[in-house]
Amino acid sequence: MRKLSSFLTILLFLGLLFSCGRKEAETQEKTVAQTEYQGQGWSSPHYREDMAGTVLNLYGVTDKVRPILDVFTEDTGIKVEHLTMKNGEILQRLTHEADSGIVIADLWFTGGADTFIIAGQNGLLLSYESPEGAALDSDMKDPGLYWYGTSLTLVNWVVNKELVEEKGLKMPEIWDDLLQPGLKGQVSMPNPASSGTAYNVVSAVLQTRGEENGWAYLKDLIGQVPFFTARGSDPANMVVNGEAIVGINASNGDRELEINNPHIKLVYPSDGTGWWPQPAAIIKGTKHEEEAKVFIDWIISRRGMETVASSRYAAVARKDVRIPEGIEDITRISLFPTDFQANALEREAILAKWAEYVE
Amino acid sequence: MVKADPMKAGYYILASALFCFTALPVLSVFLYGLFPLSARGDLGSMIFRSLPFLKNSIFIALIVTPASVLIGLAATLAVHRFSSPLNRFFKPVLLLSLIHPPFVGSIAFIMLFGKRGLITHDLLRLDVSPYGWQGIALLQFLGMGSMAYLIISSSVGKTNSHIEAAARNLGIPEGKIFRDITLRTMYPELSSAAILVFLASMADFGTPLIIGGPFQTLASDLYIQITGLYDMRSASVSGILLLIPCIALFTYQRRLNRRKAYYAMALSDGSIRYRHYSRPVRAAALTITLLYTLFIFFKYGFIFVGAFTEHWGYDYTLTLRHLVKVLQKDLSPFVNSVQLAFFTALMASTAGVFLSYAVKRKKWAFLTLSDVLATLPAAVPGILLGIGYLVTFKYPVLGIGRFVLKEFPPFILLGTGIIIYIICIFRYMNVGLRTGYALLEHINPNIEEAARNLGQSENRIFAGVIMPLLSPAFRTSFFKIFSTTMTTLGAIIFLLLPSNKVAVQSIFQIITSSERGVAASMALLLSLTTALMLGFFRLLNYLVTKKRL
Repeated sequence: MRKLSSFLTILLFLGLLFSCGRKEAETQEKTVAQTEYQGQGWSSPHYREDMAGTVLNLYGVTDKVRPILDVFTEDTGIKVEHLTMKNGEILQRLTHEADSGIVIADLWFTGGADTFIIAGQNGLLLSYESPEGAALDSDMKDPGLYWYGTSLTLVNWVVNKELVEEKGLKMPEIWDDLLQPGLKGQVSMPNPASSGTAYNVVSAVLQTRGEENGWAYLKDLIGQVPFFTARGSDPANMVVNGEAIVGINASNGDRELEINNPHIKLVYPSDGTGWWPQPAAIIKGTKHEEEAKVFIDWIISRRGMETVASSRYAAVARKDVRIPEGIEDITRISLFPTDFQANALEREAILAKWAEYVE
Repeated sequence: MVKADPMKAGYYILASALFCFTALPVLSVFLYGLFPLSARGDLGSMIFRSLPFLKNSIFIALIVTPASVLIGLAATLAVHRFSSPLNRFFKPVLLLSLIHPPFVGSIAFIMLFGKRGLITHDLLRLDVSPYGWQGIALLQFLGMGSMAYLIISSSVGKTNSHIEAAARNLGIPEGKIFRDITLRTMYPELSSAAILVFLASMADFGTPLIIGGPFQTLASDLYIQITGLYDMRSASVSGILLLIPCIALFTYQRRLNRRKAYYAMALSDGSIRYRHYSRPVRAAALTITLLYTLFIFFKYGFIFVGAFTEHWGYDYTLTLRHLVKVLQKDLSPFVNSVQLAFFTALMASTAGVFLSYAVKRKKWAFLTLSDVLATLPAAVPGILLGIGYLVTFKYPVLGIGRFVLKEFPPFILLGTGIIIYIICIFRYMNVGLRTGYALLEHINPNIEEAARNLGQSENRIFAGVIMPLLSPAFRTSFFKIFSTTMTTLGAIIFLLLPSNKVAVQSIFQIITSSERGVAASMALLLSLTTALMLGFFRLLNYLVTKKRL
């Protein structure tokens, strides 16, 4: 047992040493680059050649960003390690890490716009005016410049073709098609209280149809859904498994689900659909502020957006970027006009009313 | 005169570590959730909101616990007491569900037994949906039955078959022998298994999320509160409610176990075959075990199929492309996983078994408290413990710096690699503790007394008498903890650094992204790694002790 106790002691001691080392390396001098660096298809006033080899830490909600990060490393020499969590988990971590002054992540890329808005309001993000930001429409970036939109996430329907044929249903094309009697109990939708996708749908329906007609529609829609799933990713899985016929889902505009599952069809409702940008932001308190700014400059540059578009098969926030093959051309999809700040403000009232209708 | 006693010192270090790494995090997550009290007005409504979920949790746990213990018992009897040619099939399959990540198994299960499942729909033409409480209960049962088996089967070799033989010679009917002797001597393992299954069922949030549909439990609701609603307050209220039935059960078991003795004078090795048995009992045990193992076998075989066919569930053309894709990925998470699981299993088993010995045989201070504290992490969902670590160890000096020494930055654990090891060790120490208890019930303290009377020092008694006797518990717990750490995610997501990811997290990511073939391959690779490592430890153990497990 002597071994055990000494091992435990050593363990603790090592832990303390570790944290010592981390803290000391923290103070760093910042020098502002004099000349603006011009790369191929991107530029950044903050870039210096000696940044090569620095490691940035990035939080996000998907592993699919890895190829994008690798291209960034090729271009700049700055390495990026990423860690994937869910929106709420990221928000929790950032809050507490900021609280203790241990800022682990330098960047946050991908996630729900709502969580970025909350984080910006709570002072977790660094506001940065990127020279590339001018190329983005105002609804593609935060008014306080806490985050910039990169790719677009679109609300779509995951439809089980096999079942639609088997039950002799009409392939849904417009939102009202979801109300056809054959789909009763067969529409899967996440709970808007816990899923950004579903909340986006609800608020978009209300914004486009108006208060009265909007709620009338939602009431009928609620009648079609057997239960509301906890997570945004659940309906797609249920439809793939044949547990439901239509699932309300969010995607980058890519066709991956269709490619991976021959019995699935992705439908973009022709009378408009919800959407939001996938943001990228700098974490306040980062020890690598300059490098993080280079990342933001790079990701919203043409070079960055093209990389995002081709490796995520996604539609992107910049309009001067060629759309890769195999994805939906968003100019052909009609998007609901969406006011993200208003979405966030009215959230509680809308959710309360929603809960009433469900009961 | 005070003589230095390293065992005692070791215990006190362990006890303070337990306080620091289990009590503090759990307490601070509650404090964090409940304070400031300014908004206490809605505390009542939060509790009221959580009560139906609590009812669901208890409902599920009350189904799953007896069922799993029954399977564990039937399988133990089938494998170790009745010899049958099926043993070659039973043994490996029972261990299968311990070495693969549970959520991949859930998906395979839905594809087999769902509304459009291969077996339920295509074969049996049924239109049944597994979503709901039935699905949760069934899936938990499939996973936890094996866990119960592992614990209950460790009683074999500790029970003394001579007692049975003696009773038989006295002409006592077989049924009575089984009930009053065989079952009774297995009681410590049965109750340990029941406790662990109950706690695991209560704390499991993954299964209800995947297959619960409208039926959610307290643990899964808590998960949704944190990840979907960003509401720590109501999550911590759920956490407190979750602890109540767990602590109640725990106290009950302690009281029940206290008065009884289950000693065997000799610890025999291996299986004790029945020469006389009642045919119905044998038939029942074999049938139940066969059905159960077939279920697991199909589920697991289906993951195998998914890993090597084009479109899992739809197109069964053989392909290696998923495997190739997995092997092209960065495989360092696998190395990280093995490292983490190895050290966790080693430390947690050692500490847990040692603590079980201290609690049962020593009269040191705070033993009951240490017992409770070591069990506490098993009763809360991983995510809550993770948050607890996050809110505690962001403060300096192991969390104490929240109140004093605020400007003492060098002692912050958050953001170091070591905190992940610590949380895993303390989360799984209870497994070592429970297996240790179960074993100690069978070891007569007179053996130690005898050594003591012969003038041996305490340290030599521990090294020469206790340690060899406890080593089976250490091995059982090592295997269980190693495979659990390899395959579960829960607690560590809040503490991982971008540079030290673990394999199971990548699988979790891939599975949400519709690349099911790749996820299946990856799960297979993880199972294979786990199985290889376990085989390696087995071999090592054999070489060192010259005894088979």
